[in-house]
Amino acid sequence: MRASIRLGALLGALACGNARGATLVVTVQSADGKPLAGAVITARPLEGTARRPEPIKAVMDQVNRAFEPDLMVIPVGSTVTFPNSDSVSHQIYSFSPAKRFQLPLYRGTPYPPVHFDTAGVVTLGCNIHDQMVGYLVVTDAPWYGRTDAKGTWAGEVTRGRYRIALWHPRMREADAGAEHEVMVGETGSAQLTVRLGKPLTPAPLGDRPHSWDY
Amino acid sequence: MRQGSRRAAPLLMLAWLVAASGARADGWEIDLDGRLLSSDANPSYTQGGISGVRFDSDQSGLKLGRARFALTESLGELWSVHLDASAWGDHDRIPAGLTEAFLQFRPYPFGGYRLRVKAGAFYPPISLENRAAGWESPYTLSYSAIDSWLAIEVRTLGVEAQLDWLGTRQGHDFDVGVTGGAFGWNEGAGTFIAGDGFTLTDRQTPYGGRVGLPGDPVLMNFEPFRELDGRAGVYGGLEARWLDRLVVRALRYDNRADPTAIDYTSGAIAWETSFTSLGARYESAGGWTAIAQYLEGDTAIAPDGFVLSWPFEAAYGLIARQWGHHTLSVRYDHFQVDANANAGGSGAETGHAWTAAYVYAPDEHWRFTLEWLHVASNDYQRAEAFNLAPFASETQLELAVRYAFGSAVR
Repeated sequence: MRASIRLGALLGALACGNARGATLVVTVQSADGKPLAGAVITARPLEGTARRPEPIKAVMDQVNRAFEPDLMVIPVGSTVTFPNSDSVSHQIYSFSPAKRFQLPLYRGTPYPPVHFDTAGVVTLGCNIHDQMVGYLVVTDAPWYGRTDAKGTWAGEVTRGRYRIALWHPRMREADAGAEHEVMVGETGSAQLTVRLGKPLTPAPLGDRPHSWDY
Repeated sequence: MRQGSRRAAPLLMLAWLVAASGARADGWEIDLDGRLLSSDANPSYTQGGISGVRFDSDQSGLKLGRARFALTESLGELWSVHLDASAWGDHDRIPAGLTEAFLQFRPYPFGGYRLRVKAGAFYPPISLENRAAGWESPYTLSYSAIDSWLAIEVRTLGVEAQLDWLGTRQGHDFDVGVTGGAFGWNEGAGTFIAGDGFTLTDRQTPYGGRVGLPGDPVLMNFEPFRELDGRAGVYGGLEARWLDRLVVRALRYDNRADPTAIDYTSGAIAWETSFTSLGARYESAGGWTAIAQYLEGDTAIAPDGFVLSWPFEAAYGLIARQWGHHTLSVRYDHFQVDANANAGGSGAETGHAWTAAYVYAPDEHWRFTLEWLHVASNDYQRAEAFNLAPFASETQLELAVRYAFGSAVR
């Protein structure tokens, strides 16, 4: 995960290699002012042309009837392998507009990687274990990443004006749809703090036995 | 001989499925549940009597709670089969039998919708407490009065389709679903309500089983899962979910039996039984669970056109708190059966029950439960048919030790 964030930032810098580097720091707070970890940040320059980020090869495992990790950000054109490390079979599907696919009943790694060529959020499920849910955020933004425990993401970008978008599985639609502009100017760094307007939806209950009816 | 081979058929099918279950099997499971109990209750219907609880004072000591074998097996890509067999260690006609056995069709969700179709024998989607494997409650040993009634004499042998709109997979906070079922072979349902009224038990009548011993003056050893008139019953329900926290269910059920139908050979009567069920379950992040359920309906027979009917209603509220491997639960049940003028009060009952239980489940194999159950009821039949005082206040204390093993237990 961390590798792909670094890679994204690096590729973004290469894409606009003629400009001088700068640091963009985005901090996300929930509606009650606490840092929000794990939020997806994408940054797009408003001026000039930035090349699309280079596709990556990612792996999203299935461990103990859960996607591991349960959220990944990948550039458009990337491929993802979905091994099943459980002793039970899974049957993975998505009906999200950005990518509709299904992987029939399997264990291990019997299928080739799945190709994601449209930007958007892909929600993954298992047709046997209804409680399993995972997310792939497919982006064409040159800079992307996720906030750390302090609610912060930092990217090495070029100077200029940026449009920042946020996403989190528990974020309300109004917050996920909001876009924020920030200017990375002569000081060589810029900071944007976004406080969500609405509380997050409650986190999934994690402590129920798998065999229960949900 | 023919009787014997009919009994062996499900066992042979189980053996074949176990043998055929290869790498893709979802698994098999065996649960053994023993009880140390103390009770001051009258004998229940399994002992030829009438009681508000499962075990009577003569059964105090060690008893089998349940021995269960279950198998879930994928059949190809989109089908699976589930078999649930149990033995209860009492005087039923068959020592072990299937409580549920069904095929499930589960195509991939498409366009935000998910379809599930079941065919076979299973419970209609009513219970909100019996959510654990084997249609057991993870909160208490004894089921609520509503779910005990379903366990004794209500089952779908037919087809059910459920269509859900998966809003939570599309950025919304909720899912909604509709369910419809069509079934037969359940025209004995209603006999127990009109005869014994409500009781709190965890005994589920298996297919082929009978309820009440031979010579029982009220239940007369009836078979709940019978078809007499060739008319299919139906049910339809709605379900709404808010995230994974709140479930609300409503169901209208009508077995559409012809109440004038009688099987003159066995004396069995078709009971026309219909009811409405409403319920909600809420779970909090702090380990709290709250369940409320209400069921209201009517059962009737009309031999020779003389209509006898028993309107009934039951409700319960349950609060549970889980911390780590420990769960404490308290439930209050209220239940009532009326009898119309023709029935002359016969079968009327009113009562309530308190259940308190502590469950310690250190891992997926072991579960220890201590339950105190108190039922107080006024039942016309106690005096009329069993020569007892109509009012009874019964208490049952149980310590259950359950061990589960198998490839599905993990």
